[in-house]
Amino acid sequence: MTPLEILTAAATGQPAPRIPVFCNLLDQGARELGLTQQDYYAKGEHVAEGQLRMRERYGHDNVWSLFYVGKEAELLGCREILYSEDGVPNVADFVIKSLDDIARLEIPEDISTHPAWGETAQCLRILKREVGATHPICAYLTASTALPALLMGMDAWMQLLLMGPEDLRDELLRKCSLFFQREVAAYRAAGANVLVYSTPFGCPAFVGMKRFRELILPWMKRDLLPGGVEGIVYYCGMAPFNAVIEQVQQELGIGAYYISPLADLAEARATIGQKGLTCGVIDDIKMIQWTPEQTRAEVRRLCGIGMPGGRFLFGTGVMPQAIPEANIHAMVEEAFRCGSYS
Amino acid sequence: MSRAELFRTYMEAVFDTDKAAAFAVVRAALEEGMTPEQIVFELVVPATEDTMSAITKDPDANLAQHFMTAQIASEVTEWMLERFSQPPEILGRVVIGTSSGDLHSLGKRIVSGCLKSLMVDVIDLGVNVSAEQFVEAALKHDAQVIAISSMMVHTATGENGCQKVRKLLQSQGLEGQFRVIVGGAPFRFDEELYQKIGADAWAADGISAGKVITDLIRGVKP
Repeated sequence: MTPLEILTAAATGQPAPRIPVFCNLLDQGARELGLTQQDYYAKGEHVAEGQLRMRERYGHDNVWSLFYVGKEAELLGCREILYSEDGVPNVADFVIKSLDDIARLEIPEDISTHPAWGETAQCLRILKREVGATHPICAYLTASTALPALLMGMDAWMQLLLMGPEDLRDELLRKCSLFFQREVAAYRAAGANVLVYSTPFGCPAFVGMKRFRELILPWMKRDLLPGGVEGIVYYCGMAPFNAVIEQVQQELGIGAYYISPLADLAEARATIGQKGLTCGVIDDIKMIQWTPEQTRAEVRRLCGIGMPGGRFLFGTGVMPQAIPEANIHAMVEEAFRCGSYS
Repeated sequence: MSRAELFRTYMEAVFDTDKAAAFAVVRAALEEGMTPEQIVFELVVPATEDTMSAITKDPDANLAQHFMTAQIASEVTEWMLERFSQPPEILGRVVIGTSSGDLHSLGKRIVSGCLKSLMVDVIDLGVNVSAEQFVEAALKHDAQVIAISSMMVHTATGENGCQKVRKLLQSQGLEGQFRVIVGGAPFRFDEELYQKIGADAWAADGISAGKVITDLIRGVKP
């Protein structure tokens, strides 16, 4: 079976020889190609090449079309990104500098013709051509309730979200939800088939259960229901969200859950059960300091919890550049070894 | 309303992140003859300390609660400080900022709000602060604590962040004068990380940082 078929089998509860093994090596591509981060991310062909080389080197199942999270802000007018040679780029120019800017925020009618989409489209074209028939292609999409943090800064967004004015908050959310709907359609059309729905406000650790139910869940429905949840993965930015899994399953029908390393994986596994795909995620910040053997032991622990009953995927979190290469090899090798069902 | 009732009602308002209710209690306290000084030292400071303790122990506590608690506490404190008959005695002074290359300011804002309501003078250096700026500001403002917030792994662990602050303090013979605290998402995933980058302490969230920092100040201040 190809990695894509193995993923499909895991997602639908069909037999497969092993679990899917996912890894997100993003900024590492620049070093691989001998480019600065800024030069690397300037071209879709660089990002695609970086992804293909990373996959070839470590052997994991997936590739990413994500450049950096702030790319979405660029589609909405952000003009400055702060690059770093040893980590992820930051949004350095907030599109919404005052509440008056919310009315001026324009959502592109067709994302696929927007100039800022061009390099992402090029990256996706290459990935689809090279590995699209056999390997999952991941995309990263920010939920309407989290996208404002990229547009105005997290603290300004928290203030607007929690303290109002509510009419402006809702106007911004309407625009961000519309953006999400158009963006997910563009990614699907371009060939992405694993759509990571980044919704940090979709976990109780951010807003508590009451606000989750009354404020966040309705906006998640608005984001997702028009285009459907095919290929959508529920992801809360590495924060734990076990307490809402059941409700998300019932109300949104999402089939895959990317469980925080800080959460109880066994509990998440039991909650999701056979109704969806449980993604067990390694604490890859600790991998900076771990030995290869410690890394292997943690992979075995996660697989031991997640694999019984099937419908399990092994994945990574943020994969900082400082992780020793030997640990990445150890992680992927061990995930393939202990992730075998035969 | 008795003092005990005022305290309890204020605590409930803050814990429920109900800003309007918290301000209503303060207005009621003023109407009942409490001075602004009494409101801060007998109501706001103890209530903030109790709320910090309760939120820290509450497994269901959340970021919104932290944000609103800090916001309410700092706004009430600022409102009352304008009415003080003379400037209050501060507990100590902190210079705070996000580490070099890091533009995420939420954690810093929550910590600053809590500290202000605990009568700690906060010098906010903003975002993307170099190690040199942290040390220079700590010296210039005669601070006891340098607080460094980092949301990303490379800014938390990189050589231009806390590690460089520690090196500068060592090279300038200032280690006895200042304590360094770090906070932010990466430290939640590796609770020993703060030691590896040369910090004296870390806090899991903005609210508990208030308690850790006031303890650090008391440890340094003569």
